[in-house]
Amino acid sequence: MSERKFETQTIHGVGLGLRSSHYQEVFTTKPDVPWFELLSDNYMGDGGLPLVRAEKIREDYPITLHGVGMSLGSADPLNLEYLTRLKALTSRLEPVYISDHLAWVSADGKYTHDLLPLPYTEATLRHISDRINQAQDFLGQTLLIENPSSYLTFNNTEMTECEFIRGMVNATDCNLLIDVNNIYVSAVNHDFDPYTYLAEIPTDKVKEIHLAGYEKMEGYLFDTHGYQVHAPVWDLYRAALQKFGPVPTLIEWDTDIPNFATLRGEAHKAELQMKEVA
Amino acid sequence: MDKDAIELAAFQKAFYEGIFNPTSDSIQLACQTIQSTEAISAKDRLAIYRGSILGGMTTALTGIYPVCEKLVGENYFTNMVAGYLKQYPSGSPDLGNYGEHLSAYIATFVPAKDLVYLADVVQLEWLWHKAFNAPDIKKNKQHTKPVNELAHISEQNHSNIKFSINSSARLLESPYPINRIWEVNQSSFEGYPSVNLDEGDVKLIIWRNSSYDMCIDILTNDEYLFLSAISEDRLFGDIAEMELATSVAELLPRCLQMGLIDGFTLIEDSV
Repeated sequence: MSERKFETQTIHGVGLGLRSSHYQEVFTTKPDVPWFELLSDNYMGDGGLPLVRAEKIREDYPITLHGVGMSLGSADPLNLEYLTRLKALTSRLEPVYISDHLAWVSADGKYTHDLLPLPYTEATLRHISDRINQAQDFLGQTLLIENPSSYLTFNNTEMTECEFIRGMVNATDCNLLIDVNNIYVSAVNHDFDPYTYLAEIPTDKVKEIHLAGYEKMEGYLFDTHGYQVHAPVWDLYRAALQKFGPVPTLIEWDTDIPNFATLRGEAHKAELQMKEVA
Repeated sequence: MDKDAIELAAFQKAFYEGIFNPTSDSIQLACQTIQSTEAISAKDRLAIYRGSILGGMTTALTGIYPVCEKLVGENYFTNMVAGYLKQYPSGSPDLGNYGEHLSAYIATFVPAKDLVYLADVVQLEWLWHKAFNAPDIKKNKQHTKPVNELAHISEQNHSNIKFSINSSARLLESPYPINRIWEVNQSSFEGYPSVNLDEGDVKLIIWRNSSYDMCIDILTNDEYLFLSAISEDRLFGDIAEMELATSVAELLPRCLQMGLIDGFTLIEDSV
């Protein structure tokens, strides 16, 4: 394995979600980006160019791994083949963090490849907490769990999302990846105060923040990750920095991916906020 | 499973059915647990997720099958794969594993029956995708020797050799010139994108070379049979007895030189 510039187990500043269309520019220009986040599900194969590229990135930058495939909220058994592959990837790339979502992805062994909402009940809290514990034990690493954006609530809801998250943290000692855009999207969609939400998140558990752009639809906001970060999300991000401190922050862009300069422009805006709040 | 787990499984199964098999009954069942508001009904909230999920999976298929999408157009492609999404659930958390059966699905997709070459073009794209993401070394070939050690094998042992085809390589034959159809539909293609289907059948190998470049190479009939026999793990002694117009003494060095054969084992090694 090639020598890595960064053996550090911490990250700082504003990183970028790395997408395949930007690899060549990163390899060529070696931009001054403090860290990259890779979508772990794209590197689960046994070889090929994706892993070669990931290794090459890791030579020059610290990375985190972010996935959707754990399906932590599903009633299906945990997919041990997936976890085994993720563990192998972790050994290979040595990410600072591994993260997944407060969501379910599969039902009866059939995968939707999307993040689906859970009813916030005592029963589902026990269920997902058991599975996070199993996954953490298997991987030998504390996970970061990301708050979802959602477009519906359930009739049998017994607690707020924040109460659910606090219960999950208490039961698993997991860390949190707070997606500020997701908070805002859900706040609009479900008519709650996003600042109250932020205030209820356990500060010491937040290890990473995500920023992304939503799309305004007829009657709701849709979390497309296909736009620049919107003004209300920047405002909420500022409040998040004031509460959590200068937590490593990621610009996430998954659809209609722009040129690399645009991504760096968004990162620069976040860096300015981080400096101002410090 | 305890009662809570059974209830969670039933809820998630109903939600899944409401997304992928949206009948009035399945939607009603899925919506039983979803709150309606004045602004958006439970049914419309479920539909938001349906659009997101099916849109995401269609986008993934577009990424694997760009030539197919270009040939039929975006709307046609979306409508065509809608049935596939319903009929072929994804069984893996890796979205890159989804889409394997699209060629078989298209072969029976009546509205596209006049596009006789389409299923084979789709199969070519799938094999390209699998070759691109193939392991660097086959899992069961870890004890394979490099071909430069062939010189150390005595002639009397040649018939006991099993050659290894490049771990990324996939063989494909079609009655249509699908390689040309693929080629003229690449964004890098310069020229008039015309293909004469009467050019006839092709035998291809789709593979990734040692520089991680992707290759779609045309094979002669003998090369195809020779490499097929190797990919079936047949002994070189048996392959040498195949009735081919070209001798294996010509075929083997050509395949070695190209990198299509990149290792070997002696059967004594594997006992």
